Amino acid sequence: MALSNITLGQYYPTDSAVHKMDPRVKILLLIALIVAIFLAQSLLAFLPVAAYLLLAIRLSRVPVRMMIKSLKPLRLIIILTFLLNVFFLQGETPLVDLGFAVIKKEALLTAVHYSLRLVLLVLGSSLLTLTTPPIALTDGLERLLSPLRVIRFPAHEMAMMMSIALRFIPTLLEEADKIMKAQTARGADFESGNLIARAKAMVPLLVPLFVSAFRRAGDLAMAMEARCYHGGEGRTRLRVLKCEKRDYIACAVTALLIAAVVLAGLL
Amino acid sequence: MAEPIISVEHVSFAYEEDAPLAVSDVSLTVERGGFHAILGQNGSGKSTLAKLINGLYLPGKGRVTVCGLDTQEDKNTWEIRRRAGMVFQNPDNQLVTTVVREDVAFGLENIGVPTEEMPARIEKALADVGMLAFAERAPHTLSGGQKQRVAIAGVLAMQPEAIIFDESTAMLDPRGRTEVLEAVKRLNREQGITVLWITHFMEEAVACGRVHVMHDGRIVLSGTPREIFQDAEKLRPYRLDTPPMARLAQRLRAAGMPLREGILTVEEMAKEVERLCK
Amino acid sequence: MQVTLDHVTHTYQAGSPFQSVAIKDVSMTVREGEFLALIGHTGSGKSTLAQHINGLLKPTEGRVLLDGKDIHEKGFNKKEVRQKVGLVFQYPEHQLFEETVAKDVAFGPKNLGLSDGEIKERVREALAKVGLDPAAMEGRSPFELSGGQMRRVAMAGVLAMRPQILVLDEPAAGLDPQSREDMLQLIFGLHSQGTTVVMISHSMDDVARFATRAVVMAEGAIAMEGTPEEIFSHAEALEKMGLDVPSVCKLGMRLRELHVPCPEEMFREDQAFETLLKLWKGEDAHGAQ
Repeated sequence: MALSNITLGQYYPTDSAVHKMDPRVKILLLIALIVAIFLAQSLLAFLPVAAYLLLAIRLSRVPVRMMIKSLKPLRLIIILTFLLNVFFLQGETPLVDLGFAVIKKEALLTAVHYSLRLVLLVLGSSLLTLTTPPIALTDGLERLLSPLRVIRFPAHEMAMMMSIALRFIPTLLEEADKIMKAQTARGADFESGNLIARAKAMVPLLVPLFVSAFRRAGDLAMAMEARCYHGGEGRTRLRVLKCEKRDYIACAVTALLIAAVVLAGLL
Repeated sequence: MAEPIISVEHVSFAYEEDAPLAVSDVSLTVERGGFHAILGQNGSGKSTLAKLINGLYLPGKGRVTVCGLDTQEDKNTWEIRRRAGMVFQNPDNQLVTTVVREDVAFGLENIGVPTEEMPARIEKALADVGMLAFAERAPHTLSGGQKQRVAIAGVLAMQPEAIIFDESTAMLDPRGRTEVLEAVKRLNREQGITVLWITHFMEEAVACGRVHVMHDGRIVLSGTPREIFQDAEKLRPYRLDTPPMARLAQRLRAAGMPLREGILTVEEMAKEVERLCK
Repeated sequence: MQVTLDHVTHTYQAGSPFQSVAIKDVSMTVREGEFLALIGHTGSGKSTLAQHINGLLKPTEGRVLLDGKDIHEKGFNKKEVRQKVGLVFQYPEHQLFEETVAKDVAFGPKNLGLSDGEIKERVREALAKVGLDPAAMEGRSPFELSGGQMRRVAMAGVLAMRPQILVLDEPAAGLDPQSREDMLQLIFGLHSQGTTVVMISHSMDDVARFATRAVVMAEGAIAMEGTPEEIFSHAEALEKMGLDVPSVCKLGMRLRELHVPCPEEMFREDQAFETLLKLWKGEDAHGAQ
């Protein structure tokens, strides 16, 4: 019961133009955004990227604090990137003398550049996962990858696997919680001891969890077969992905962004 | 008898070549619109029989037909599974997707129903089991009974003629069991869907039109619930219960109280006691 | 030995947006030697309550006392609670993990740090208690047993700790009628031999047959408490909560509706048998006068 409330991924459900966009377009636009971020060679070039992201966040109606929260898991890496660059990069123009080290202007600029790049990358991909339910994401990926069927790439199977995994994560978490409690009730200790002792202590949790996962997989396979599942062949879909006006507009804006970034690089 | 939907003729089945028979020379017919129960303890072969009917297993001997289609023929497989849908025991292990509406769509997608037709069929199916309000919910936030009703909707959307329930209430609490059984009874009554209800709860079998008792892979008793349940002695060798009222009536009769034969429910018992005591 | 819950509240994921109160300000005592039934819907908080009795869950507010001592106080040996209060979860067979039955049953005693000889003895004793033949079972893999046998092995795993209080969450769930009856008789046997039993059950017939006392949970609080006689005399209130009553209780209610003078205290089959016979004979004699 304790774990049944967890959210899947970090989808933020609300009604916005960005939410309504075709997931395929969103995935492609994220790739374009990443390209733009790497094309941006100067701080000036980051301006259009930042403006683009701000606009997108605004349109998505995702609260800013949710966006900031998405940076949290990576904050250490961002800070480290900044510090390492500031202190260890060579430069010519000294800026501040801290006594133990001298901060150079060039180093500071590069540090800002690299950490800003990371921040923008994280914000961009978070915007995708915050505005697209996991199931739509796998759906979008499946369709984008489906042309690869000609080289036998199992796009449908992969998407089906991902969506089943998403479906069963909460179920298995709940089960893990229950088994852990049951073994604790028999005196098991999952918390103390050194690494090896702790790894050993996981056996009474992991074995039953695997046994159960296999049983569930068997059951599910049978249930899917009983409901006429026979692979991707001849399947129709409830959800049809259709590009609409807003998707074309978004593509156009993104194209402009890349142009702006390239221009900024030439200046 | 009305036209048979499910017909099982002298079917035997073993999981492995020299393993003992899980189902042994079973014959059974379920007529269109019927509500039959198969009652038996764990390991009696009742679940195996269920899986033989919609072609998940193929008989070693004998013949299974659904709406006249032989399960042995490959080309019939998908049509049989569409016409005779199946709901399983574990409510957690038969829903495939993360949203109820999409789960109901799963079967429709598999049989290639055009996209435009899907929403209406999904909504009707969910409404029929009283789950329309939950269409956008994630399965793991539902109760056991609700999950089973979603599973029924998933089958129902495929417009089957029969549904086989393989111990679909065994893992539910009393409220969930009632929810599911009531929904199924309504489908049978109002839409004429043929039901084969597999269970080890005799209370559930009491409500069915016809009961078949399975033991050691064989059907050992067949009849109306009244014929099957009025004699506890007959059921004892098969390790099955009798309804509490039938048991009580039998004890009272043995003590001399002239209760009529065939009492199964509280209501019948109350009426009979009223008649004798007034 | 007794366990007391003193104004216990438990909130899952407290402080997060998903927080939910599972039980609220619950006070009760598990008395030595009793057979206590915990009744209530799924989600009424009875499983959460049960997990407080052996200290698996820590109350968000309130205290859990084992013979008067707060088990969550610093310095209290948790292992002692786990040993004295055994907890058998729903579908306990899902927690089996060892290669052999003997090893699996030995898991608890091993965690208690007992000697090999002592462990061996306890494994045999526990298997015998659940009606399995130790000699035949010890070397087998728990995964090749039947469902009913697996459940017994899992129960033996808890009994091998020699708990004085045994808490069971729906021990008969999913079993067929005969295995169900065997399981209930097994638990009743343990109770007769002196183990205090707390059993979560959905079957009111079972409660009527075995329990010496019952606690009814609804929406995270205790709604009723008393002997089965007292609880089932409020059949209407129970039905209003959406809970079942024993079928002979239903018969009694229906008879009173039909103006047959059926007394209220009738909730076991034996009682119904005698009551109805008396009713009939009484009326019969009256009619003959």
